[in-house]
Amino acid sequence: MGSLLQIAVRNVVRNVRRTAITLAALLLGVGVMVSIRGTLNGLQRSMKESMVLAQTGAVQVHKKGYLKNVLSSPLHLDMEVGDALVKRILAVPHVTAVAPRILFGGMVNLGDQTLFMATLALDPKREFEVCPKRRDLFDARAKAFGTSADGMVITVELAKGLGAKLTEPAALLAPDKDGALSGENATILGTMQLTSPGERKIGIVPLPLAQHLLKMEGRATELAIAVDDLENAPLVAAALERALGPEFEVHTWDNVATFFKDILFRQDFLLSLIATVFLVLMLLGVANTMLMSVLDRTREIGTMMALGVRRSRIVTLFLVEAAVIGVFGGCLGGLLGSIVVAWLHVRGIEVTMPTSAVPFVIQPFVDVLYIVKIVCLSGIGALVFAVYPAWRASRLRPVQALAGG
Amino acid sequence: MALVELVGITKSYELGRTVVHALNGVDLQVERGEFTVVMGPSGSGKTTLLNIIGCLDRATAGTFRFDGEELGDRDFNDLAEIRNRKIGFIFQSFNLIPVLNVTENIEFPCLIRGDPKKALRERVRQVAEEVGLGKFLAHKPDELSGGQRQRVAIARALVTQPQVVLADEPTANLDSGTSEQIIDLMLELNAKENVTFLFSTHDPRVMAHARRVVHIADGRLVDGTDSGRAEVAAVAGMGAR
Ligand SMILES: Nc1ncnc2c1ncn2[C@@H]1O[C@H](COP(=O)(O)OP(=O)(O)OP(=O)(O)O)[C@@H](O)[C@H]1O
Ligand SMILES: [Mg+2]
Repeated sequence: MGSLLQIAVRNVVRNVRRTAITLAALLLGVGVMVSIRGTLNGLQRSMKESMVLAQTGAVQVHKKGYLKNVLSSPLHLDMEVGDALVKRILAVPHVTAVAPRILFGGMVNLGDQTLFMATLALDPKREFEVCPKRRDLFDARAKAFGTSADGMVITVELAKGLGAKLTEPAALLAPDKDGALSGENATILGTMQLTSPGERKIGIVPLPLAQHLLKMEGRATELAIAVDDLENAPLVAAALERALGPEFEVHTWDNVATFFKDILFRQDFLLSLIATVFLVLMLLGVANTMLMSVLDRTREIGTMMALGVRRSRIVTLFLVEAAVIGVFGGCLGGLLGSIVVAWLHVRGIEVTMPTSAVPFVIQPFVDVLYIVKIVCLSGIGALVFAVYPAWRASRLRPVQALAGG
Repeated sequence: MALVELVGITKSYELGRTVVHALNGVDLQVERGEFTVVMGPSGSGKTTLLNIIGCLDRATAGTFRFDGEELGDRDFNDLAEIRNRKIGFIFQSFNLIPVLNVTENIEFPCLIRGDPKKALRERVRQVAEEVGLGKFLAHKPDELSGGQRQRVAIARALVTQPQVVLADEPTANLDSGTSEQIIDLMLELNAKENVTFLFSTHDPRVMAHARRVVHIADGRLVDGTDSGRAEVAAVAGMGAR
């Protein structure tokens, strides 16, 4: 009924102080939630980008069954990387670059130290088309990677393990594809940082060197693929699967770096937890306001009952009041949150992850849908939390209500 | 057939182990067009009586008939509808809805029952004019004096064209001059429009204006005090002061 809505809205406006307190709670709650979500969005995007652009590429192609056995870096699940295959991949829409890789377990020898090393053989030219940010993790001398046939880069941790002067001649050792131990001379160019958890003793070697070492000329175990927009990764993966056939398996970056998915999931979970606590606190405030309103307006409720208002309408009245406060407060909070997020976006937040010495800048952002969701949640939540006060109002006996409770 | 008919009405409250008899066997008839005053000291049961007649409360025992119907077994919503259509209320403390202005307060009971808004506005204006509020239609209750607020309440009670208007000490919160104006207004409405009024007071000054006075004490009507009973028919018919 129109006049009930009118009464509801006017009561909200009339009780300035009480409404202001409730609105402030909602504003703060929703504002904080939107700000946190926005910051987390920015953080996650940066993390994703540094993951994709420095390590995985957007999509990876392997021989069928490779990922299941990834821990043993199986060399027999390899593929011929000819022009035909590369062309077929580049023909898929949204694909911008392809880089072949070989992952294998090897050893590095320097002086009298020999250490195990998870080895990543990269095509010096094409790798940086797929993972341009990989170079950002290299120190100044390591940036020369690709200029010499035997120049390799190792992690800081591995360098520490080797101890001796890195400039001395080194050797790369590994069982080749047939299991026979093989070796090549190598030069350690410099070191690199890691941004992800897990294996710390990693070396990067030029692909041709590894192919020679492993007796895998012209072959690779992994293809890293870049796309124009990360959003298109699943699309490209599906298209590649169709184009390449059942011999191959195609994964998007997040299915390769599963630990990363875990991190994102944990962050989102934590945020939801915080959000829920905030929301409940906020809504308890609304419930309290409504209860106070019912107590204050007992006589008014009695009057309405005397004039013939039904119980259900009394319930509606208070629910509408709560929803009006909820939605209005939510909108204000959404606005505040958006402003904060926009400001942080322009300003940027510089952070250094504990796993890395390389700082990066977070640019918070939030999508409209999230704000709409939160505002709805705030309105619906206010409604739900007003059910009890509204029910109490409607259960008053008319005489008792007219007498003031 | 009387509009209101009470036979042996009692109302008792249990307070712990003691029982308070607010009404103790009340017999009362109110005819259409009557202007009846229930007089009695504080605590005598006036409010209790009016609440039962107003379908706001139920009697513990006895028979209550309103407009020929026994209402003992009706549920909340039925009674709400009867109150809305057949009864007008005027309260001691005015009981206007604070967020609504004069017009909106007056039209409120009509909107509840879904009267079309257009025709309503004209009637509201008329009624407001009648009670002397023509210039205050847009005022909020807190911008009005006590007397003006009670006029709004009277207009709100009249706008639905009820069978009876119940007024529980409508002048208790007003100064004596304003009280007289309000009573004069109600008498005038009774005379001109034949509105049935039943109102309670413990103010002896009001007696002077009343045509029929019923005295109540300790939850009983006092025998032989029903001044108007004999001439009721005549008064109701003539509708003159
Ligand atoms: N809810 C209740 N519980 C217990 N006793 C009640 C209740 N309501 C009224 N009473 C008692 O019933 C009696 C009649 O009360 P009522 O309010 O009808 O008197 P009244 O004539 O309207 O008095 P006043 O002039 O002060 O308004 C009083 O003794 C009162 O204490
Ligand atoms: Mg009373």
